[in-house]
Amino acid sequence: MANPVTKLRNTAEEFKIKSPKDKKRFIVDSILNNALYILMLIFVIYTAIMKPNFLSLGSLANLITQVAAYLPMALGIGGCIVLTGTDLSAGRVMGLTAAVSAVFMQKLDIPNRMFAAMPEPSVPWLLVTLLVVLAIGALIGLVNGFFVAKFSLHPFIVTLSTQLITYGIILWFFNLNDNNGTPFGGLSDVYMDSVGGTMFRLDNIGVPVYVLYAVILTALMWFIWNKTTFGKNMFAVGSNAEAAKVSGVNVFWTTVLVHTLAGACYGYAGFIEGVRSGSVQAGTGMNAECDAIAACVIGGVSFVGGTGKISGIILGVVILRLIFVALTMLGVGSSSLYIIKGAIILCACALDMRKYLVKK
Amino acid sequence: MAQIPPYPSQDSQDQEPETPKFRGLYRYVKVSVRTLDIIIAACVIVIIVATIAGMNGGPTVTFDSRGGTDVAAVDCEPGEKLVAPEPPTREGYTFTGWYRDPNCTDMWDMSEDLVSEDITLYAGWSKNDP
Repeated sequence: MANPVTKLRNTAEEFKIKSPKDKKRFIVDSILNNALYILMLIFVIYTAIMKPNFLSLGSLANLITQVAAYLPMALGIGGCIVLTGTDLSAGRVMGLTAAVSAVFMQKLDIPNRMFAAMPEPSVPWLLVTLLVVLAIGALIGLVNGFFVAKFSLHPFIVTLSTQLITYGIILWFFNLNDNNGTPFGGLSDVYMDSVGGTMFRLDNIGVPVYVLYAVILTALMWFIWNKTTFGKNMFAVGSNAEAAKVSGVNVFWTTVLVHTLAGACYGYAGFIEGVRSGSVQAGTGMNAECDAIAACVIGGVSFVGGTGKISGIILGVVILRLIFVALTMLGVGSSSLYIIKGAIILCACALDMRKYLVKK
Repeated sequence: MAQIPPYPSQDSQDQEPETPKFRGLYRYVKVSVRTLDIIIAACVIVIIVATIAGMNGGPTVTFDSRGGTDVAAVDCEPGEKLVAPEPPTREGYTFTGWYRDPNCTDMWDMSEDLVSEDITLYAGWSKNDP
């Protein structure tokens, strides 16, 4: 990778020898290509002026916490986008696994305990819970991957149906044992402390332990994407499945495994979400995949397929969260937030296509 | 004269930049850079307008009736009391009030509490004796 300073200097020298018309073109190009970054900068500056405590350490802790919570799903969905697909079931899988984690880790002494037969929450039981939710996520991912790979169905169709089926399972799960859709609360201290316990404080705002887990997961995903044959195969299939097949890549298993891995990531995201929400409802995780997809596209994981970096996904999640933290501080209502989210996704896609066209 | 297989002519190669071929999910997209510029600018304007419009909107109170009839969300002015909405109904249960948490431990007092930020209130239900 070139030194950014040298790169910038080269760009500046190239800029000097351009004709006035080209100069204007260059400026317009740079503004448009970086529209979302510029927009983020405007939001940050405006929020910092209006609400001075936005630029505090506490606000940074808040941002880190949010990024750590939203990153796992984006890392999972990133792989599906590299394969020129997507995954619409992510949010509901997160909801289901959050519900399962909550039920597994409920306190013994609460009156409306879901399953009386569950053992007392302890650290080994917490690990069992984690494995179970990872397996549930991976299983749904496996179903997605199988249908996409075996029948070359478009992931939109397959994952839309698994999204609905998963939601049905969630609703059914919430109505077991005369529960009547009551949220699962009363989570045990073992679960709350080992996932959401405070690691250290910045400006009196605690940074939870799952930030550390998110770092570990990111490192693991970076390793899988960049250092394993599976990761290289994934990019090969994403950029050209036919060529990958000819050069001996097992397209079927690569596709299945990418979706399975993504499913496991959503399972982990649900495990975290249970602690974050404190009490899991049937609607938990709804539309969460939209944020993850938006973060990936902003971070340069292109719908064109075969391109994307882990660092890009992190950047995308940070930008999206920063915009939303700023908007929340400004008191922007949730109805406007949805419009803004939609516009950001469309804008990110247009930018993505524009970069592709200009490069050609 | 023998038939010549239809090779792409020089003209069609010249036209390629006009109708660029995407791969992947954008396979069927036909768009020029100019149109994309307009879309990007429009999106940025939408984002800014939505932000400004949303800022004046004040906090929103949403109601989770938890199995009862749906209650519409209410937009209020910051620092004002909440006007009690029509209470929801649910078969076999009696409505006990609105709570800040889903476990119904922290009740929202309509005559005392002030709305300062977006909040979701949860309906409390007590089971009717058969």
